[in-house]
Amino acid sequence: MSILKRNCAGMARRDFLQVGLASIGGLTMTDIVRLKAEKAKAAGKSAKDIRCILVWLDGGPTHYETFDPKPDAPDGIRGEYGTIKTSVPGVHFSEYLPKLAKSFNRYTVIRSIAHRQNNHGAGNHYMMTGRPTPVPVGCGAFVTFHPSIGSVVAWDRGIKDGMPSYVSLERMSRSGGPNFLGAQYAPFVISESPNSKSFRVRDVSIPESIVGARAENRRELRKSLDNLQRINDRVANDPAVTMDEFYQQGYQLVYSEKAQTAFDISKEPEKTREKYGKNNFGQRLLLARRMTEVGVPFVTVYNGGWDDHSDLFKNLKKRDLPELDQGMAALMTDLAERGTLDNTLVVCLGEFGRTPKINKNGGRDHWSFAMSVMMGGAGIPGGQIVGATDVKGYYANENVYAPEDFAASIYTKLGIDHAQVLHTPAGRPVQLIDKGRLIKELFV
Amino acid sequence: MDRMRAKFAILVAFSMATPAFADRLSFRNDVLPVLGKAGCSNGSCHAKSGGQNGFQLSVFAYDPAADYRNIVRGARGRRIFPAAPEESLLLLKATQSIDHEGGKRFDKDSEFYRMIHKWISQGAPWNSEKEISLMRIEVSPSSGQYKRKGETSLKVTAHYSDKSKRDVTHLSEYQSNDQALAEVDHHGHVTMGNQFGEGVVIVRYMDKVEVARVAIPTETLLPESAYAKLTVNNEIDRKVYDRHKQLGLLVSDLASDSEFIRRASLDTLGKLPEPERVRKFLASKHPKKREYLIDELLDDRDWADHWATSFGDLVRPNTLRVGVKGVYLMDRWLRRKLRDNAPYDQIVREILTATGSTHMHGPTVLMRDKRVPADAGAFTSRIFLGVRLECAQCHHHPSEKWGQEDYYQLAAFFGSMKRKGQGISTPISGEPEYWYWQAGGTVKHPVSGEVMKPKPPDGPFIDVPKDQDPRAALVDWMVDPENPFFARALVNRLWGKFFGVGIVEPVDDFRASNPPTNEPLLDWLAKDFKKHKYDLKRTMRVIMNSRIYQTSSVANKTNVGDERNYARSIRRRLGAEAMSDAVTRVTGMPDTLEGLAKGTRAMMTWNTKMRSVFLDTFGRPDSSAECPCERDPSPTIIQSLHLMNSDKLEARIVSGSGRAVNLAKSERKPEEIADEIYLSAYSRFPTADEKKIVLAAYDAKDASREKVTQDLIWALINTPEFVLNH
Repeated sequence: MSILKRNCAGMARRDFLQVGLASIGGLTMTDIVRLKAEKAKAAGKSAKDIRCILVWLDGGPTHYETFDPKPDAPDGIRGEYGTIKTSVPGVHFSEYLPKLAKSFNRYTVIRSIAHRQNNHGAGNHYMMTGRPTPVPVGCGAFVTFHPSIGSVVAWDRGIKDGMPSYVSLERMSRSGGPNFLGAQYAPFVISESPNSKSFRVRDVSIPESIVGARAENRRELRKSLDNLQRINDRVANDPAVTMDEFYQQGYQLVYSEKAQTAFDISKEPEKTREKYGKNNFGQRLLLARRMTEVGVPFVTVYNGGWDDHSDLFKNLKKRDLPELDQGMAALMTDLAERGTLDNTLVVCLGEFGRTPKINKNGGRDHWSFAMSVMMGGAGIPGGQIVGATDVKGYYANENVYAPEDFAASIYTKLGIDHAQVLHTPAGRPVQLIDKGRLIKELFV
Repeated sequence: MDRMRAKFAILVAFSMATPAFADRLSFRNDVLPVLGKAGCSNGSCHAKSGGQNGFQLSVFAYDPAADYRNIVRGARGRRIFPAAPEESLLLLKATQSIDHEGGKRFDKDSEFYRMIHKWISQGAPWNSEKEISLMRIEVSPSSGQYKRKGETSLKVTAHYSDKSKRDVTHLSEYQSNDQALAEVDHHGHVTMGNQFGEGVVIVRYMDKVEVARVAIPTETLLPESAYAKLTVNNEIDRKVYDRHKQLGLLVSDLASDSEFIRRASLDTLGKLPEPERVRKFLASKHPKKREYLIDELLDDRDWADHWATSFGDLVRPNTLRVGVKGVYLMDRWLRRKLRDNAPYDQIVREILTATGSTHMHGPTVLMRDKRVPADAGAFTSRIFLGVRLECAQCHHHPSEKWGQEDYYQLAAFFGSMKRKGQGISTPISGEPEYWYWQAGGTVKHPVSGEVMKPKPPDGPFIDVPKDQDPRAALVDWMVDPENPFFARALVNRLWGKFFGVGIVEPVDDFRASNPPTNEPLLDWLAKDFKKHKYDLKRTMRVIMNSRIYQTSSVANKTNVGDERNYARSIRRRLGAEAMSDAVTRVTGMPDTLEGLAKGTRAMMTWNTKMRSVFLDTFGRPDSSAECPCERDPSPTIIQSLHLMNSDKLEARIVSGSGRAVNLAKSERKPEEIADEIYLSAYSRFPTADEKKIVLAAYDAKDASREKVTQDLIWALINTPEFVLNH
């Protein structure tokens, strides 16, 4: 069933979700004219070609020890790390991000995203979907009340040539699911690490042991033994016919040289692999780049362990920061050098920042009133700082943006109308992003 | 005060100048309907939570007083300007005379404009002189028969407390429940589609909902003789054929013995039948062999585990919210109840009246999960009554009669539950919680603040003695033979499991605007279920013995476009657990399940948070969601890719201790191997042609017996005949 849907602004789009009673006000002539104009405008744009790599630093990375150091804050807040100059005069990052500091000309850092969801469950949901949870949820909760950005992108772009449209590396983030959009827009999770020698992207290539003549034999055998009678009339909705289409797409995928090369990270020159860092995170970023290059529209790279309630200064410099620094800097530089930064949106964040006061265990606790978010590519200016926190880093106090604004900006970059109204299978109208304002500094 | 007087003076002057404006309008009866129809109080515009741009209206005008406040006094009174009504923000915005994100809602030259203008010029009164209440609406024609591409116009009449009537056709909203069958426009004009069938148009005016039924009978009814020779095994067949006769449908052929045993085994036990069972069944010449098989399957020890998975989807909460131990105990409890074939009413009673420790008594974990009375009420209604009241938590149900009273009156049954203990402490909720009943504790209406008396939806107020747990009274009402919901909800759910689609679909969404496709059938099943003391197996037995259940999935000319009248069996994908166990059956190698003993079957799992690529791929309920009760049955490309290419699956196929290697090592001839694999995957022997192809593969030059056997298993697993229940 294909139906027209309208949002508050009178814009419309076609899709395949069920319509609800609340939306049945018919389309007026003006709406239709406007719809046509919108369509033409959209067709001219290339936003629908832009892919996204979302790097999720689960647990809530500290803003102090990453992109928003406060060297002038008093003891007990300032922290143990020093700062380092970036490629932009006057801007300093934490001393453990030297490579990111050097490549700052490739991306923007927003220092002023803030919200009020101070626990992991709720914070994850807010940042990952652009909607707060409608009810309070527990800290350790994994909740879903709204589709994640990745699922919406998968739904919007659809599946092409058998390629998964939303990939999540290592695991799905807590609120990274499709909610009412349905299981087909759930992330395709690849938990094995591309840093391991035996790594293969699961399920998208023929197992090595049978590749070649044997795979051909199997294909032939299957074809000749597949005898369940099909009900080919479309109105019959025969799932066997749907499966036929999937197998056709599946074969397209496993025999597509382009796709198969992309999945095979061992094809990457060793030098590049080393640039990203020969660790799980670095190689996942590289794999994400390779997948987006062949048309996977959305890849999440999950990177856990940022919930440093204790021994923060000892822990972060050991592994988390150096790996983040090396990997993200390599990704930004690599994309720029390959000429694909313009059609790849890179976003790196967690669910919130961390408390100004260092606690008795040498850690920082949850703090949603300020967080730093890195965004680059897709036309986002390089070397730009958006917003600021106060001198001690307590509160975002300049150009403050909400998670809704963050999500609306991502959707706009990807050519998706963030104000559109979707309908749950029960017919309830749900605005994709409620009251989202664009982060204007990303659209200059 | 002065301002009021000024307003009044202007009002008087104005109305004297234009006598036509003499009748004082009512905010509730005149203004709100216009704002509704114009889309202002649409759930995605000003009626969404928090409103739009600072202006908030209530959804479906459930709170007129708040709406009045927001319009007349909100924004410092800028929204209306009685001295010059046309300068009122309300009108300027709605006509887009000034910038309005929602666009133009109506023209200056429209009835809507004149109505609002008049109301503002009167000083924006709350009441008319004689305020009347809307009692009901009437739709005509309320039902009708049409031809394909036919048309009709609906007329909606509002009836008020003073017996007056008003034509509100232009103010009502319309929706068709099946757009392919009938489309309805903004004005209530209905245009039939190009197919036959029955549907409803839902009509809503303010908080009243009515339906208009449309039927497009087939132009090619079959002669009575076409039905004369059909087998009638029981009442189900009679009821279904009756519908077929009205709709010009003819049931497909009887499914073959192989199709029947495979389907029956998957539906009752969630597993493929063992090759030995299939051989025996196919060989039998007994005229009652299907009946005997049904008895045998219903007595199989896997029956309880399969249905525990099925019911478990409904009552097993998120382990990360309420704790692993409680959910585990609930699962064990449920399996035991089913193993004992406990009557359904008794199972539900024990669940809904549970008390005690969540670490001792399984069902209490549900209390822990639905810890707020309103949640417990809504859950009870949806799961056990098939009525979705959730909408009514915040506003009147958009397509039903349910309002907030219904929602909170039901919640009131759970209002005096008390608890002690840790509470919810995710991610593990490791400590127990104790639930008990103690008099006292109330549920209040969120708008009026009134204390709610316990009353089930469509039921009477129930006077619960002070020393009694009201939940028991609720269950008494539910399991009463006269109850209109309880038995119907369950038999419909079962029907959905056996036919892939409910008589009411979605199975937990009973409402006037979503009528059953076969009312007499639903009635009969419910009655039979009650008559047999809520015996689950009895209802399953009746269903499975019907000729209708035993129908082929291959369509004939009459029923190819029909998926709702059981004239052909609807093909459906195996559920995640059944699929996992089916692959185990064919490969001879079980999947490894996290934290469970080697060889554990997927149907024994109880924790949907357990990591499993296979089960996730084939769809488990998402227990992170508000209602994890649904599984998405659609095939996905991810599933196809997994069956085609998964290294883990390949390892199971080629395993040294798997079926392929064992068969290859055995003394069996190639045709015997083929028989064995076909029996285990498809519950049938290969056809002569298939046998030829398989033998050719074994006979090929350099063919390895082992590899061909593996390839054969791979090939069969990757066909729809394996993946689908058909």
